[in-house]
Amino acid sequence: MKVLVVNLGGQWTHRIWRRVKYLDCESKILPPDTPIEQILDSDGLILSGGAVRIGSGGEKLLDPLTEYLNQYEKPILGLCAGHQFIAIHYGGKSTPAKNPEFGQVEIEVIEENDIFKNIPKKFKAWTSHNDEVTEAPNFKILAKSKECSNQAMKHKTKPIYGIQFHPEVEHTAYGDQIFENFVRACKK
Amino acid sequence: MFDSDRFIQEKTTELANTKENTIIACSGGVDSTVTAILLHKALGKNLHCVFVDTGFMRKDEPETVKKIFNTLKVPLTIINAQTRFYEALKGITEPEQKRKIIGKLFIELFEEEAKKVNAKNLAQGTLAPDWIESGGQLRDTIKSHHNVGGLPEQMNLELIEPVRDLYKDEVRKIGLALGIPNEFCQKQPFPGPGLAVRIMGEATEKRAEIVRKACAIVEEELEKAAEEGKMTLPWQYFAVLIPIKSVGVQGDARAYGYTIAVRSVESVDAMTADYSKVPHEVLEKISVKITNTLKDKINRVVYDISNKPPSTIEWE
Repeated sequence: MKVLVVNLGGQWTHRIWRRVKYLDCESKILPPDTPIEQILDSDGLILSGGAVRIGSGGEKLLDPLTEYLNQYEKPILGLCAGHQFIAIHYGGKSTPAKNPEFGQVEIEVIEENDIFKNIPKKFKAWTSHNDEVTEAPNFKILAKSKECSNQAMKHKTKPIYGIQFHPEVEHTAYGDQIFENFVRACKK
Repeated sequence: MFDSDRFIQEKTTELANTKENTIIACSGGVDSTVTAILLHKALGKNLHCVFVDTGFMRKDEPETVKKIFNTLKVPLTIINAQTRFYEALKGITEPEQKRKIIGKLFIELFEEEAKKVNAKNLAQGTLAPDWIESGGQLRDTIKSHHNVGGLPEQMNLELIEPVRDLYKDEVRKIGLALGIPNEFCQKQPFPGPGLAVRIMGEATEKRAEIVRKACAIVEEELEKAAEEGKMTLPWQYFAVLIPIKSVGVQGDARAYGYTIAVRSVESVDAMTADYSKVPHEVLEKISVKITNTLKDKINRVVYDISNKPPSTIEWE
């Protein structure tokens, strides 16, 4: 199993790598301008979070990701900024959040799907975001919180997932389970 | 899962190829001590352990460090550089500037020491959060860690950082596997720049004395409360000096002193943290002891109830 991590400049990108390594996957952290040929032989792709503001022009810095989303056919998981980038790529919207979230938040699962398997309907997660996804027309919303209506989503036909909170950090309950679920989806 | 035996096996084999003499920067903390023992296993006599007393160490720190290296039977050179650090930080208030000055001075001292023992490499116990938070490429700089962001662009020594992809919980496991006593491996983290980043604004010798005493009280009281079963020992706990004056009354007279903030957090890897739910009676004991011990210098104590994010664990 090879699951690669594309680094959008997040503080927790290396934690994603640690999560994936702990699941015995081969992994590597790559910059977002890595030629697509170098990622095509992997079984899954994770787009990290980052300080870039998605929806206010920051997404232009991440132009090469467009090519990944167009050509990569295996599962993709976007976290935070990665989640927002996926949303706008498929015709959705990301805007500055009315009430940004930092630190502990309660997540409510709307639809378990495969990414929230073996996880309670409500759990505590850690967040850190200024922007949020407000529209995602081609996606099903899987989870929400009090301040954020789209905490997780999945594409209606493709194995593409987005999560606004941070399952890669220790403080998020069931974070390890979420990664296990994603890696299982990559094995399909 | 993390396999510490495999890590030690792979790293010592890799490090055994190091030809030249190496000095290692030891702070007495878990990360650099574990790195030193790991390197000592691979390099033996070609490794020189160096501890710098910056003048911003905790109470009894230099003695404690000496003791642990004695126990582990690894020789340690101690450099007394208090005056150089106090001089370099005179008038400096901006936290990033402080951290960079400290980092630069550390390297100067290590280069001087390296010359004496003809070393070509500098080893450090850098962990993942150190270089992550120091910024790079798209990643924002949260704070320049002295061992990363404080390094000069041109350095004469080759860097060796064997644990740079690990976090605190993992480095503790390696320590245990290397035979370092558990009590030492579980020691709370202490920042490389020391008490200098626990003094908001200018870090002077006098202020260091205040925050050193306050830190010692926080440590003693929380450790005692944990021993008595009133709470579990927090992941990291200390005092911060806020040099802003507020009005108080001590012995029927007007007092106008500084404030101490008590910080105590729970974490695993320092990348996220929540504040410790310390019982009020314990907090009260700390508060009373700090103001009674530091008298006219401190007349107010506050407890920091922020998590990371949005805050960081240390204040600077």
